[in-house]
Amino acid sequence: MGSMGMGSQTATVSPLAKYKLVFLGDQSVGKTSIITRFMYDKFDNTYQATIGIDFLSKTMYLEDRTVRLQLWDTAGQERFRSLIPSYIRDSSVAVVVYDVSNRQSFLNTARWVEEVRTERGSDVIIMLVGNKTDLVDKRQVSIEEGDAKAKDFGVMFIETSSKAGFNIKALFRKIAAALPGMEALSSHKDKDDLVDVNLKPTQNSQAEGKAGGCAC
Amino acid sequence: MTMESPRGDGEKRPSSEGDELDSKLGSVPPLRPVDRFGLKSSPTSPASASTKGRVQSEREREEGRLRKWRKMIGVGGADWKHYVRRNPQVVKRRIRKGVPDCLRGLVWQLTSGSRDLLLMNQGVYEQLVLYETSAAELDIIRDISRTFPSHVFFQQRHGPGQRALYNILKAYSVYDRDVGYVQGMGFLAGLLLLYMSEEDAFWLLVALLKGAVHAPMEGLYLVGLPLVQQYLFQFERLVKELVPKVGAHFEEEMINPSMYASQWFITVFSYSFPFSLALRIWDVFLYEVLFHSLLPT
Repeated sequence: MGSMGMGSQTATVSPLAKYKLVFLGDQSVGKTSIITRFMYDKFDNTYQATIGIDFLSKTMYLEDRTVRLQLWDTAGQERFRSLIPSYIRDSSVAVVVYDVSNRQSFLNTARWVEEVRTERGSDVIIMLVGNKTDLVDKRQVSIEEGDAKAKDFGVMFIETSSKAGFNIKALFRKIAAALPGMEALSSHKDKDDLVDVNLKPTQNSQAEGKAGGCAC
Repeated sequence: MTMESPRGDGEKRPSSEGDELDSKLGSVPPLRPVDRFGLKSSPTSPASASTKGRVQSEREREEGRLRKWRKMIGVGGADWKHYVRRNPQVVKRRIRKGVPDCLRGLVWQLTSGSRDLLLMNQGVYEQLVLYETSAAELDIIRDISRTFPSHVFFQQRHGPGQRALYNILKAYSVYDRDVGYVQGMGFLAGLLLLYMSEEDAFWLLVALLKGAVHAPMEGLYLVGLPLVQQYLFQFERLVKELVPKVGAHFEEEMINPSMYASQWFITVFSYSFPFSLALRIWDVFLYEVLFHSLLPT
């Protein structure tokens, strides 16, 4: 994170940094709707179930740099898992989504995180996302549980509602802040320990997550 | 509301009139304009005022084709097999031009061999729907409202379209427990339901996946998706062979077919293509791919 002082010029001049994000999680937890909210700032009550893999990309303008995000949306059903490992392998970020009104989807996040660790070890940013917070009456997983689980996994955490548009921008800002791009920008300065740098923002962001959603 | 399917919210219960949220979000405004296939129509309408004459001549041509088709298949498909054996190339040519929409359901049943399956298994479907339970019921329910959500037939929550879709998928998951229910099947079943009865659609799905007149396609949905992997491999080779520049470009950009084509194969093109195009693909697919073993090349 030390290169921040270099200012925005450096970032805009350098070629657009590309990052791959893979979205994982059980069937119908809202992976596609999170992506759609982020991409087009809209929400439909009816999305077609994602079959196989879908791909979208978006340029994100941050204060100090611009990044190109490639979003891989996956089908949630177990049977499709054979398609997914290569996408996990290629991604620097894994967004593991569960539905706060569906406890089983929350419990299954352990398998998704494990899958990511198997492919990438610790060289990956993992974000645990509890979606559908608008379903207040149907909630089965509290924010504290989500936060504790994330700590347990050693990953970042946020709750969102793509229907209400809550915390979606914050989710992507948090991811962007944790991207290994900071080293990439200053890579000629010989930063060697990528893993260490990756993990630090993780712990910080957890604390933020607990404090509730950021303004977006 | 349809995104998040409520667990424990019995799907088989008749449509809940009292549930305000349901009726507000689950069903659709009644007079939404739809195209000839029942999909929400987009503002671009092909028929403008100046094409009136052309529409007229098109209709005449369509009627002419319909007469030929009726003669070719006979009443209830009685003459079909005979005709195909004698004039396979004529049939092929006519199918490539598109099966007339009103005969499509019947022709698909004939080309897939599902008609014979149905006749050999009287009462089986009813048994599966009424008396069997499936481990996949919850998974199926979650996807029902996410299958062709922009089609009028499937929009109404717990309406006839959604119920039929559920029945077929549940029945299939019982009928073939190795395959069970896999996301993607719903789009096949949905497409079929627009052209035939529930029971006919079920047997066509069976014919397709278990192989009535051709090699079974269950590998699209078996663990590891072996047939999808095979198709992706073949497709990649075909791209390199037939459109080498595109193939080279994709390779340079590290785009492989699984990124965009897995959903084509998993749903046999019923998922993401314009509807009219998907129908034409199915016309040809059922005849030339499935029926090909009966054809001289």
